[in-house]
Amino acid sequence: MLQHGPILERLLAGNFICQVSDEDAFRHLSNEQTQQDINHYLRPLNRRLVSNDDNSVFFLGYHELNKEAREQLSSQFSLTVQSLMPLLEWLQLVQETLGRDSALTAGDTIKLQEFVLRTEDNQSLRQRLNQLASDRFFNSQSEQLDNQVKLIFRRLKEHGYLLQPHHDRQYYVVTGKIDYLIDVIRFIRDEEQLPVEDTPNQEALL
Amino acid sequence: MAALDSGSTAGTASNLFNIGSDRLALLGKHHKALMQGYLDGFIDETAFSEGALKKLIAARILWRPDEQQPLALRPLVSELIASMVADENRRQINADVAEKLEQIRNRVQAYRDAQYKGDYSVAELQLQRLTEHVHDLSGQFEEAIDSLWHRLNSDFGFVASLDDKIRENERAQKQLRRLLDGLDLLDFSELIELSEGNNHLRKLLVSQLQNQLSSHHSSLLEVQKRLVELLAKFRQQQARSLLISNMAAFLRQHPKYQPADYPNRSELPALFNHAAAIIPQAAIALDKASERQTLAELVHALPRAKPVNLHDSQSASFSSVWVDEEIAARQQALKTDVENFYLRVIDQGGKLSALSYLEQQALEWDSEIWLYQIIAEYQALPQDEKQMFAILRDEAPASAMNQLLLIRDISLQLKAA
Repeated sequence: MLQHGPILERLLAGNFICQVSDEDAFRHLSNEQTQQDINHYLRPLNRRLVSNDDNSVFFLGYHELNKEAREQLSSQFSLTVQSLMPLLEWLQLVQETLGRDSALTAGDTIKLQEFVLRTEDNQSLRQRLNQLASDRFFNSQSEQLDNQVKLIFRRLKEHGYLLQPHHDRQYYVVTGKIDYLIDVIRFIRDEEQLPVEDTPNQEALL
Repeated sequence: MAALDSGSTAGTASNLFNIGSDRLALLGKHHKALMQGYLDGFIDETAFSEGALKKLIAARILWRPDEQQPLALRPLVSELIASMVADENRRQINADVAEKLEQIRNRVQAYRDAQYKGDYSVAELQLQRLTEHVHDLSGQFEEAIDSLWHRLNSDFGFVASLDDKIRENERAQKQLRRLLDGLDLLDFSELIELSEGNNHLRKLLVSQLQNQLSSHHSSLLEVQKRLVELLAKFRQQQARSLLISNMAAFLRQHPKYQPADYPNRSELPALFNHAAAIIPQAAIALDKASERQTLAELVHALPRAKPVNLHDSQSASFSSVWVDEEIAARQQALKTDVENFYLRVIDQGGKLSALSYLEQQALEWDSEIWLYQIIAEYQALPQDEKQMFAILRDEAPASAMNQLLLIRDISLQLKAA
């Protein structure tokens, strides 16, 4: 078990592990034997390994759902629901600002400076960013574009959606937690049968 | 074709040579203007003299598709350029195998006829043409495969939007299917039959062609696999973009929207089972004798605070601060005693009264000065260390009439971290 110590520590701390955030750990976790070992070890802590549908991200869940666990999960869930709108808005904003033809996925890089430069000259992007930064999730008090962007990216880093490979360099890599977020959205959409399409309709194809 | 006699063949060949080389030279002579024409889709007629334009039209390099249209490059010339510069937007793939096969059959027939008549120079010429056709057939696949790989490796980067990429990918898959169908048309038992009894033919049509085509076949299958994978990836990206924008639109329209209470369902969806963090803490184990050495090293390695010696700077001051060494020493002694008091609080852990400590240690300080110094020391602590101590004042009103609170004693306690 000793060789999995660092992985366990990161998992226990509530981190999501994906190919981007920790390639080695992710490879280990993809091994079924290791999964069993880890689950066995975590049993007394009432934890077990959980992954999303396509096994692209791993995290810890409760083994047994007692009252405390349910309470914790409830508050966790309401936080997630609160963060949906700002995160979706951010995803759209990045896609539009950087002129990308597809949504962000794990492994994409974002250069902070490029993002700032492109937002600076565009009044409508500037306006949307301003609104996003003052959302409760980011909670920026600053009026300065540079500070707002930095804060947004720092928050996203804290929440595990972004990774900053070099502490002093302002570029970020999107982690697999974004995939998790998309899975959550898709789950809610399917479960509640929301009128939210994700396939192009016939008109768009023609 | 077998009726060609060698004399006229030589004459046509030299004539062809002259015309061909002249026309190729034309391409070179006007290369910049022609390339610009390729990029623009039409030719700027002012860039050429009238004579040059006539020559280019006669050489079948330029043509006028319609009376009203400007001059443009002939499709074959555009295609040549597209293939040379691997311009995937304009590159054509020729998947027509039936025509090539027909030509090969005819040539084999002509070759055999000439051999039968004993006309060896014609037979030689026919064999030469046949070789060209065989190479063309293989080259056609090679060109197509090169184009497909090129598009694949650039992730269809030559078109801008994801929708275009999906369309381009589908187009490439259709081309690929036509190429594979074309390969299926090649019937090796027929080719073996055609080359029967002739070493040259067998080598050309059977061993060489078969080798090349089977390698093309496996390349095509590999490309196909990758194209399908890439298309799936494109579709996934498309679905994700749509999901994001549509969900965002939905939430904007329904700001009060609240999903069901998944965490309290009897069957908890795995996605929402994200447990609270546990951060494992560890401390030095003093009970392990074997680790003392390591511990000692660690303690040694602790950075020691070095007193910073500030050099007296000479400044133009008109009065010097008068310091009585005796008073300074007494102040220092008071400070040291107070520090000792703080250390005792830390050691003991419980509540400690300042005055009882003063009494117990039989210190000679005036109790008021002692209390002042303890408060001063507390106020001077850094913010985070300050939070480690709880300072409790034992206060009482000065008298029944006077509500002024007087401090009678101070107790200090270490707060639980």
